[in-house]
Amino acid sequence: MRDDLGLPGRLFIVEGIDGSGKSTQLNLLHKWLISQGYLVVFSEWNSSPIVKETTRRGKKRRLLSPMSFSLIHAADFASRVHSVILPALQAGTVVLADRYVYTAFARDAVRGVSRDWLNKLYSFAVKPSLSFYFDTPLAESIRRIMDGRPKLKYYEAGMDMELSSDPEESFRIYQGLIKHEYERLVDEFQLVRMDATETLIRQQQRMRDLVRPHLSGVMRFDGGEIHQALRDADLLGRYLSDGRGRLPPP
Amino acid sequence: MTELSFYGFRPPGIEGESLPGRLIVIEATDGAGRSTHVALLKEWLEDEGYAVLDTGLRRSDLAGPGIQRAKGGHTLDPITLNLFYAADFWDRLERQILPALRAGMVVLADRYVFSLIARATVRGVSLEWMEELYTFALVPDLVIYLDIDVEQLLPRVLSSTGFDYWESGQDFLRGSNVYESFVQYQQMLLAEFRRLAKRHGFTVIDARRTVSQIHQTLRSVVEDVVRGMEEWSTESAGMEQVHVARPDKAAHAGHDGIDLTRSERAAPSE
Repeated sequence: MRDDLGLPGRLFIVEGIDGSGKSTQLNLLHKWLISQGYLVVFSEWNSSPIVKETTRRGKKRRLLSPMSFSLIHAADFASRVHSVILPALQAGTVVLADRYVYTAFARDAVRGVSRDWLNKLYSFAVKPSLSFYFDTPLAESIRRIMDGRPKLKYYEAGMDMELSSDPEESFRIYQGLIKHEYERLVDEFQLVRMDATETLIRQQQRMRDLVRPHLSGVMRFDGGEIHQALRDADLLGRYLSDGRGRLPPP
Repeated sequence: MTELSFYGFRPPGIEGESLPGRLIVIEATDGAGRSTHVALLKEWLEDEGYAVLDTGLRRSDLAGPGIQRAKGGHTLDPITLNLFYAADFWDRLERQILPALRAGMVVLADRYVFSLIARATVRGVSLEWMEELYTFALVPDLVIYLDIDVEQLLPRVLSSTGFDYWESGQDFLRGSNVYESFVQYQQMLLAEFRRLAKRHGFTVIDARRTVSQIHQTLRSVVEDVVRGMEEWSTESAGMEQVHVARPDKAAHAGHDGIDLTRSERAAPSE
């Protein structure tokens, strides 16, 4: 991964198995950063509009063998790095990513793809300022997933690995393998281990404490002027809000 | 037989040591006569009784349509585009080429990873990254390079498709003169191909001659590679082999790990 670029922005990422609570915490961090006046760009795993159609096609038709699974996800990631993450970091904003290269490392390695090859394949990725790994007991994360979403998708349950013909059983084994792989990644790449059994508030406080020192010198955006203009014009600004709290009513 | 050896690592899900078919690759820039010679070789081989699969780039079920769409919009950065190509290549290797080799066919590949590497490196993608990316590729039994210069290429391109956007490098070369872009791009590409030919020991064939002359030369090199196939039935796979091993392959038997010099026959045939 590249850390030689000297970019003015900051990149924070979360990792962990499904049901580890990482998205909840990243969402809270996102809102906090905005409330502090930082410009924040958010990037989600597997969301590139260019690659999405191919991923969908592969999943629907079950065309994805371990290597095609790996290459298609790498394409999706590369597309997001070049069109979203890198430009935002160059511009000096905070970038938050829900899952990063470590998700690919874990998922592909358990499918038998060479770890050394994966490392080199993803050498174009920008090294995050901080990477959080949400560590949850396997049983707890599986309970959380099963509680809300009983119908598991084919690849989500790791059914392509033929671990079990029962989707739930397959999911359990698959998540266990992924968790095991994450353990070695935490050591290799110095991910910050978050105890995801702590209360949500504690976890968020710890995240903010760790993120804060990295924010010095990062660009802030003062949207105050528009509020003043709205007040002067006797308007509330309801029609301007983008629904993500970027422009709260004054 | 085709030894199941890969440039770097064996991809997951690929079993076995050898396959009864043969993988023959023809590399060249567009307009050098690649598809003409693939067609002629196919005709000849089938006439001789060999079962032949011909395959080209961007024909996979998985990523083919996605690449066409993405190229239409000219929206992709080179890394993403090359990962797309790699997914397409792998899909074809896994679902077309390997099954055909397993079934004992001669696979004629109209371009292979080397075209992808050459086109990417002239666009500034690191050669090291590209070669590492394709270490999952199967080492072919024979890689033929049809060698040509821009001067001979020009009339052929003009009389067929004209100057294509991508084949003139207009996606990355600045300037609006299509002719100059074409010449500049093809010169860069040809230099890259020649470098790869030397590095990986391609069989270089002079493609400045007549189609008929080139075909005769191709036949003789291909004949060496397919010789002995009739003695190796699919049923005997995994058993003691009785066919006459080609000496160049035998010399490499039992070898694995990274060795990009394995597409043998370094000496140009002309």
